Amino acid sequence: MVEESRPSWENPMQFVLACVSYAVGLGNVWRFPYLCQMHGGGGFLIPYLIMLVVEGLPLFYLELAIGQHMRQGSIGAWSAINPYMGGVGIASVVVSIFLVVYYNVINAWAFWYLFHSFQGTLPWAECPLSSNFTTYVPECEKSSSTDYFWYRETLNISSSIEDHGGIQMGQALCLVLSWMVVYLCVLRGTESTGKVVYFTATFPYLVMIIYLIRGVTLHGALNGLKYMFTPKLSDLAEPKAWIDAATQILFSLGLGCGSLIAFASYNHHNNNFEKQAIVVSLINSATSIFASVVTFSIYGFKATFNYESCLDRTLQSFWIFLKRVMSAGSLQFNIDSYFSIQNTVQTEWTVFNTFFLKMQLLLINTFDLAEDSIKRDNLDDWISHLNASFPDKFATISSQIEVCDLESELDTAVEGTGLAFIVYSEAIKNMGLSQLWSVLYFSMLLMLGIGSMLGNVAAIITPLRDFAFLTRHFQKETLIGMMCLFCCLVGLSFTTRSGNYWFTIFNDYAATFSLLFIVLIEIITVCYVYGLKKFEKDIEVMIGHRPHWYWKIVWSVISPVLIIGLFIFYIADYIMGGTPTYQAWDSNLGKTVTKEHPPFAQAVIGLLLVTSMMCVPLAALVTFIKKKKEQARERKISTTAS
Amino acid sequence: MLARVLLALSLVPALALALCQPDGQDAYKVRLSIKTALGANAYEWNESEQFLFRATLAFAMRKYTGQETFNVSSVIVCNETPRVSFWFVVTNPNDTTTLIPKNGVEEAIRLSRNRINSAFLLSDKTLQFVGIPPTLAPPSQPSLPVWLIVFGVVMGIVTAGILALIISGFIQRKKKEKTIEDEEEKQERIMENGISFETLEGKDGVNNGAYSHDEDRLTQL
Repeated sequence: MVEESRPSWENPMQFVLACVSYAVGLGNVWRFPYLCQMHGGGGFLIPYLIMLVVEGLPLFYLELAIGQHMRQGSIGAWSAINPYMGGVGIASVVVSIFLVVYYNVINAWAFWYLFHSFQGTLPWAECPLSSNFTTYVPECEKSSSTDYFWYRETLNISSSIEDHGGIQMGQALCLVLSWMVVYLCVLRGTESTGKVVYFTATFPYLVMIIYLIRGVTLHGALNGLKYMFTPKLSDLAEPKAWIDAATQILFSLGLGCGSLIAFASYNHHNNNFEKQAIVVSLINSATSIFASVVTFSIYGFKATFNYESCLDRTLQSFWIFLKRVMSAGSLQFNIDSYFSIQNTVQTEWTVFNTFFLKMQLLLINTFDLAEDSIKRDNLDDWISHLNASFPDKFATISSQIEVCDLESELDTAVEGTGLAFIVYSEAIKNMGLSQLWSVLYFSMLLMLGIGSMLGNVAAIITPLRDFAFLTRHFQKETLIGMMCLFCCLVGLSFTTRSGNYWFTIFNDYAATFSLLFIVLIEIITVCYVYGLKKFEKDIEVMIGHRPHWYWKIVWSVISPVLIIGLFIFYIADYIMGGTPTYQAWDSNLGKTVTKEHPPFAQAVIGLLLVTSMMCVPLAALVTFIKKKKEQARERKISTTAS
Repeated sequence: MLARVLLALSLVPALALALCQPDGQDAYKVRLSIKTALGANAYEWNESEQFLFRATLAFAMRKYTGQETFNVSSVIVCNETPRVSFWFVVTNPNDTTTLIPKNGVEEAIRLSRNRINSAFLLSDKTLQFVGIPPTLAPPSQPSLPVWLIVFGVVMGIVTAGILALIISGFIQRKKKEKTIEDEEEKQERIMENGISFETLEGKDGVNNGAYSHDEDRLTQL
C-alpha cells in the first residue's frame, strides 16, 4: 500500500503569504485605529511596539517551531509534546470552530455591500421615501441613510436579543456564498490554499495604497491625521493602554488558534521559520499602522464634510465671517471689508458664498421681499433694516444657529463593524465615483476576511485529518465539505433579526479569554513541561543554530508573567463589570440604547468562556485514566504470565 | 337703486376679502420664485398671471371633484407681496360664503400639481404651496434587484470552480488507484518463494549462472 506523504507548500513564499494573509485581517483595519484614537494617538505606538517585541514575536516564533517540528495539527502536536497536554490542541480546535462560525458572517456582510455597490446611486446614500412619496422614512430621517441601510435593510435588526425574528434571506444567501468560497479555497489543501494566498495577501495592500493616495488628497484629511498623530503621552500612564496593546498584539497575530501550527506543519523540516516569524510579525504591525493612516484620513474627510454641511445648514458661517471682519479691525459691518479680505480667507469665503444664497432666500421668504431685492452689496443694509424694523421676526431666524464643532465630529471613535460598514460607507458616498471606491473597499474587506478564514479553517481541518480513523473513512473533500456545511448551518443563526447581537457576544467572548488561557498553557508547557533545553535542540536540528538567549528569557519569564497579568485583569474586569450589556437599536429613536443581557444570553457567554478551557484539564484527566487502565492491564498480564 | 347696486358691488370684494384671510383655517400661502427659475426669461407677475393662477386652480378643483361648477371666481386671492407670494382660498361654487376645506384643496393640488407647475413654467421647488410638501421623485427600481444579478454571477463561478476541483480530484484519484492496482498485480505475478522481484518486468526469472550447463555439454579432455 502506497502511503500518502504529508502535503507541503510549493515554496516557502506560499507559507509566508499564508501567514501574512491569516494575521493581517479585519482587526488591523478596524480595531487598531480605534485603539490609537482612544489611547493618545501616536503615543499608543510605544506600548504597541514594546508588546510586539516582548510578547508577540516570541510567541509567534514558538508556534511556528512547534508546527514545523511536530509536522502535525495542534492536537497531534501537543499530544506529542506531552501526552497529558493534548487538551491544549483540542481547546484550540474548539475556539477555532467558534471563530469560523461567527467570523464568516462578516464576509457575508462584505459580499452584501459589495453586490449593492453596483448601482447608479449607492443605496446607503439616500433615504428611501415613505409610502406617500412626500417624506423620507422616519427611522431613516432620525438616524442617517448609512445607519438605516445597515440596521434596517442589511440586518433588519430587532429591538432586543430576545426578539428572534426570522432568517433574513439576503444575509443567508451571502453567508452560503461565503462558505462556498472558503470551501473552494481549502478543498484541495495546501495545493489550493497556497495559490489563493498569493491573491488574498497582496490585494488588500493594493487597495490600501490606492485609498491612501485618495485619502490624503481628500479635503479635510489632514484634520484627521493631525488629530491622530498628535501624541497625548499622558494617556500612556493609564494601564488600560498597555493592556489593550498587549491583547491587540496577541489577537492580531492569531496566536493560540492552532492555525500557525497547522500552516507550519506543511513546511519542510529545515525551513528557516525564525526569519519568517520576524518578517510576518513586522508586516502585521506595519499594516496596522498603515491602515490607521488611511482610516484617519477618511475620518478627517468625513468629519470635515459633516462640519461644513452643518455650517451650510446654519447661519454660523455668516457669524464666523462677521467675527473675522470685526476682529480684522473694521468695527463697522461693511460689505467692502468682505471683498477686501476675500483673498486671505478663501475657505470661509467659499462657504460664505454658497451660504449667501441661503441667507438671501431665508430673508426674502421670511419678509416677503422681491427675489432680486437682496444683493451682496446691500445685504448688510437689509440686515440692519430688518433687524431694526422687525426684531421679533428676525430673532426667530437668528435662533437657527446650530453649534458646529469639528472636534466633536472627530471625537466619534468607532471600531468594529460600525467603523467598517457605517463610517466608511458614509465617507465613500461623499467621494466622487463612489461606486468604484465602494467596490474596491468591500473587496478589500472580503480579501482580509477570507484570508483569516483560511487560517482558522486550516486550524480545524489539519488536526482532524491527522486522525487516521477519519482519513481512512472519508475523502478529504467530503470531510472538509461536511465541516463547512455544519458551520454554515450553525452560522445561519447569525442571519436572524437578532443575529447581530449574538454576533457581538461571540466577538467579545468566544476567542478572547480562552485564547489567553491557551497561550499561557502553551508557553508553560513548552518551557517547563517539555523543557526549554529539549526545545532548543529541536530548533537547532531544524534551522542549524540555537535560539538567541533573548528568546529564551522571554519564553520562560517575561511572556508568562505578562499573560498572567492580562489574565488577572480580564477576570477582575469581568467580575467588576456587573451584568454584561449590549447596544440595541431602537427604531423609534433612530439610535442605539444600552440594554442588559437576559439570563440565557449570559449563560451562552459563560459557556463560550468555559467550553474551550475545560478541554485542557478534561483531556489530561482522560489520558491519566487511560494510562492507569493500561498500567493495570500490564500488571495483570505480567502477574498471570509469571 | 344705483346706490344699492353700488353697495352690493362694493360688498362683494369686501366679502371676498373677508373670506380670504392670511393664516386662515382653509387658506394656503403660495410662493413663486420666477426669477430664480427662469433668470433672464422671467416674466412679469401681473393681473393676467394672477388670472391664470386662479383659472388653473379652478381647473384643479374641477378635476378633483368632477364638478364642473368651479370657476375663476371661486378662487379668491389676497395679500399679494412683491416676493410674489399670496394667500388664496377656494369657495364652494354652490354656496359662495363657505370655503372648501383645506385637505380637499390639498388633494386637488396634489393631483394636478404637474399641470399647475407647467402652466407657469415652474417646478415643485419654485412654485411652493406652503404646507403641501413637494412630491419627491421615487428612485427607479429595476424589476430584479441588481445585487441578485451580481450574486448569481459570483455564485455560478464559485459553484463551477468547486465542481471542477472535486471532479478533477476524483479523476486524479481514480488514475492513481489504477496505477497502484497495476503495480500490485505485477508484484503478485513475480512473487517467488515469498520474495518479490520488483526489479523484474514480469519475466521468467533470473538466469543463475551457477546452474547453467551450456558450456559443459562437451566435456574437455
